[in-house]
Amino acid sequence: MIDPAWVSVLSALLFTIGLWGAFTRKNAIVVLMCLELILNAANLQFVAAAIQHGDANGWVYAIFAIAIAASEVAIGLAIFLAMYGQHESISLDDVNLLKH
Amino acid sequence: MPVITSSFTEYAIFIVLLPMLAFPVILFLGRLFNGNETWVKSAKEGGLIALPIMVASFILSLILIVEFIGSGTGSYYIGDWLNFGWIGADGMTIEEQVFGVGIYIDHVTVMLLFVASFLCMLINIFSIGYMNTDPVNDNRNHRFYAEFVLFCSGMLGMVLADSFLWLFIFWELMGLCSYLLIGFYYEKPSAAYAAKKAFLTTRVGDVFLVIGLVMLWNLFGSLDYSVVFNPDNIALVDAGELQMALGMMFIGAVGKSAQFPLHVWLPDAMEGPTPVSALIHAATMVNAGLYLVARMFPFFGAPAMAGELVDLAFIIAAIGGITAVMAAAIAFVQDDLKKVLAYSTMSQLAYIFTGLGCALYLANTLDWHNDTKEHAIVVVAFGAALFHLFNHAMAKGMLFMASGSVIHEMHHAHHDVHHHDDHDEHGDDHHDDHHDEFDAQSMENMGGLASKMPITATAMLVGSASIMGLPLIGGFWSKEGIIANTWRVAREEPLFWFPAFCVLLGAAMTGFYMSRMWLKTFAGKPKTEVAANVHENTPWIPIPLVTLTFVSLSSVILAGLMFTHWSSDSSYAFFSEKGLIDGLIYEFEHIFLNSDAFFFVLTYVVIFIGAIVGPGLAMALYGGALKEGEKAKGWMQPIINLSARVNEKRGFDNSAWADSSLSVALKERLYFDKWYDTAMLKIVAGFAVLSATFDRKVIDGTIKTIERSSQKISLSVRKLTTGSARDYIMMAALGVLVIYAMLEVML
Repeated sequence: MIDPAWVSVLSALLFTIGLWGAFTRKNAIVVLMCLELILNAANLQFVAAAIQHGDANGWVYAIFAIAIAASEVAIGLAIFLAMYGQHESISLDDVNLLKH
Repeated sequence: MPVITSSFTEYAIFIVLLPMLAFPVILFLGRLFNGNETWVKSAKEGGLIALPIMVASFILSLILIVEFIGSGTGSYYIGDWLNFGWIGADGMTIEEQVFGVGIYIDHVTVMLLFVASFLCMLINIFSIGYMNTDPVNDNRNHRFYAEFVLFCSGMLGMVLADSFLWLFIFWELMGLCSYLLIGFYYEKPSAAYAAKKAFLTTRVGDVFLVIGLVMLWNLFGSLDYSVVFNPDNIALVDAGELQMALGMMFIGAVGKSAQFPLHVWLPDAMEGPTPVSALIHAATMVNAGLYLVARMFPFFGAPAMAGELVDLAFIIAAIGGITAVMAAAIAFVQDDLKKVLAYSTMSQLAYIFTGLGCALYLANTLDWHNDTKEHAIVVVAFGAALFHLFNHAMAKGMLFMASGSVIHEMHHAHHDVHHHDDHDEHGDDHHDDHHDEFDAQSMENMGGLASKMPITATAMLVGSASIMGLPLIGGFWSKEGIIANTWRVAREEPLFWFPAFCVLLGAAMTGFYMSRMWLKTFAGKPKTEVAANVHENTPWIPIPLVTLTFVSLSSVILAGLMFTHWSSDSSYAFFSEKGLIDGLIYEFEHIFLNSDAFFFVLTYVVIFIGAIVGPGLAMALYGGALKEGEKAKGWMQPIINLSARVNEKRGFDNSAWADSSLSVALKERLYFDKWYDTAMLKIVAGFAVLSATFDRKVIDGTIKTIERSSQKISLSVRKLTTGSARDYIMMAALGVLVIYAMLEVML
C-alpha cells in the first residue's frame, strides 16, 4: 500500500495551504473552504497514523471528525447568512465594528 | 526608702481625682443648666460645686502633710499602668518595661502640696466674687470653673507623682488648661493670640523636656523616683550624659517658668481673667518649673556625682540672674497693673532659680554627707530657695487677687459713671464690653485708692513688702537667704559673681518698681473721675486677701520654726530641739548680727538698697497725698504722708527719660517678640514653601507619571484590536503555536 509517511506529508501540505488561505482570503466562504481543508488534513493525519500503528482508533476519530466538520459548516453558513443580512456583503474586511 | 504603711496614703490619690472628676461634672451641668436662674444664683455657675471639691482637696492635703510629719519620706505604689515587653537586642529575649502609677511624698512635695491646694482653694473663693459679678462672663462661667478644677488636679497630680513620667503628664495637662484659660475670652483676637503663644512657647521647652526624660530613661532604665534617686544607681551612670539630660529638662523648666529666653508668653498671658493670672501665672503653674529643678536635687547631691554637675548649676543660676534683672527693668516702664505683676513674677522666679542653682552647686561641691557644718550650709541654701517659693506664691497670689479687686472695682466705677452720663440716651442697661476705650487696668487711670479700698490696699502693701523683702515681712526671710547663699558661692567660685551681682541689682530694682506700682495706684490724687468713684463692695473677694495678708505677715513664725531647714531636709524635726522662741532668736541673730563680717555687711547693704533706696526713689517720683478730706487706714496713712513729703522735697521730673531709647526698648519688651516673630516667620514660612513644592512636584508628580505611562501603554495595546476577522484567526493560530512550543520545551 501507500507508505503512511507520504500520507502525512500530504496532510501537512494541505494543512499549510488551508492555514495560509484562512489568513489571507477576503471572501468568507473561501475561508470556510480553507477551514475544511485544515480539518481534512487533520483527518488524513489520523488515517496515516492508524495505518502506521495498525490501530483502529484512528479510523474512528476520522469518522467523528467528518461528522462534526459537517455540522460546523452548517453553523458557519448560517452565520454568513446573518452577516450578509446585516452588511450586504460577505467580505471579511467589511465586518469590523469591533475595531478600536 | 520606707513605704508609708499607714492607710491614709491610699486615699491620697483623691486629692487629685476629686478635682479631675469634677471637671466633666461641672462642664456637663453647666451646659445643661445654662441660663437657669438657680444655677446662676445658687450654684454660681459651678463655682459652688468647685469650692467644696477644692476644700476637700485642701483638707486631704493637710492630713497627708500631718502624716508626713509623723512618718517621713515615703512612697505609695498604686498599681501598674503600662506593661509591655519587646524583643531585646539579640532577637531572643523579651525585655519587660513597666510604667506604674503611685504617690511619692517628701518635704518638697509637702510644701508645694500645701501651697497649691491652699491657693487653689482661696483663688476659687476669689473667682466666685470676681467672675460671677461681671456681666461679661454670664453663662460661660461653667467653662471657667471646669477648666479651673482640671488645672488644679493637674498641679496636685504633678506634685504627688512618683515618677518623672507622671510629672510630665500632669505638666502637659496644666499647659492645656493654661491655654484654655488664657483664651477664655476667645472672641478677643489678642486673647486667642496670647493663648496660642503661651502654649507654643512652653511647647518648645517641653520638646527639650521630653528629650531629657528619654535620655534619663536611657540612662536608668526607669523614670520612677525610687529607681532614679537611688545613689547606687546614680553611681553607675555617666556624669556627662546625666548633665546633658538634666540640662534638657532644665530647658523645659525655663519654658514653663517663663525665664529668659522663653519668657515671652507671660506678659501676654495677662489676657486671661485675673483669677487665672493669680493661680496659673503666679502661684502654681510657673512653680512647676521650679519643682522640676528642685526634684533634681538628689542627682546633684549624690556622692558619685560630686563636682561633675557644676556647669549645669551655674547655667541655672546665670539664667536666673539674667531674667531677674531683665524682667525688673521692663517692669520699670509698664503702666498696666497686671503686666507689672507679670514681670515681677518673672523676676522673683528667677531669684528662686538662682537660689536653686547655688544650692545645687553647693550640694555638688561640698562634702555634705559627712561634714555637719557643710551639711547645714547645703540644707539652708536649698531651703531658702524653697521658702522663697512659698513666700512668693502666697504674696504673688495675693497681689494678683488684689489687682483683680482694683480692676474689678474700676470697671464697676466706670460703668456707674458712664451709665450716669448716658442714662437718657441708652434706655436700658447695656453690658460692659471689652471694647471700651477706658483701660481699667492702666495705672495712669488710678490713684488715691488707698482711702477707698482699704482691704485691697493693705493686701497689696503687705504683698509688695513681701516681694521687695522689707525687713520682717514675708519674703525678707527667704530673699536674704538666697542673696547670702549666692554670694557665699561667689566667694568660692568667681563665675558666680555674675548671678550674685544680678540678684543684688535686682533687689534694688524690685524695691523701686513695686513701690512705684503701689504709689501710682493707691497714693496721690485720683487721676481720673472713675478712680474718684471707686468703692470696695464686692463680696467673696476680701476673704482670700485677708487670709493671705496674715499668712505673709506670719512668715516670721515659719522662719522661727526653722522652716528653711525643715523644707529641705526633714530630718530637722519641725520644732527642732529649740522651740519657737529660740528659733526666732536664732534667725534674728543669724540675719541681723551675723558673725561673719562679709555677710553682716551684705545683709545691711541689701536692706538699704531694697528697702530704702528703691522705695525712696519711687516715692520721690510718684508719691503724693490723698485728696483733701480723705484718709487711709492707720497703717497706710504714714506711708502715704511720707511719700508726699519725699515727693515735695526731692521730686524730680523724669518725663524726659520716657523718650530715651532704653525706655522705648523696654516698652517694646526688649524686642524679643519681634526677633522671635521674624525668626519663626523665616523658618516656618520657608519650610512651608519647601513642603508645598515637594508635595506638588514630587508626590503629585509621581502619581501623574504613573497615570500618563499607564495611559500610553493602554493606547498601544489597543491597536491590536483591528476588528478584522482575518487578523484574529492569525492571532489564534499563532497563540496555539506558542502554547505548543512551550509544552515542547517543558516536556
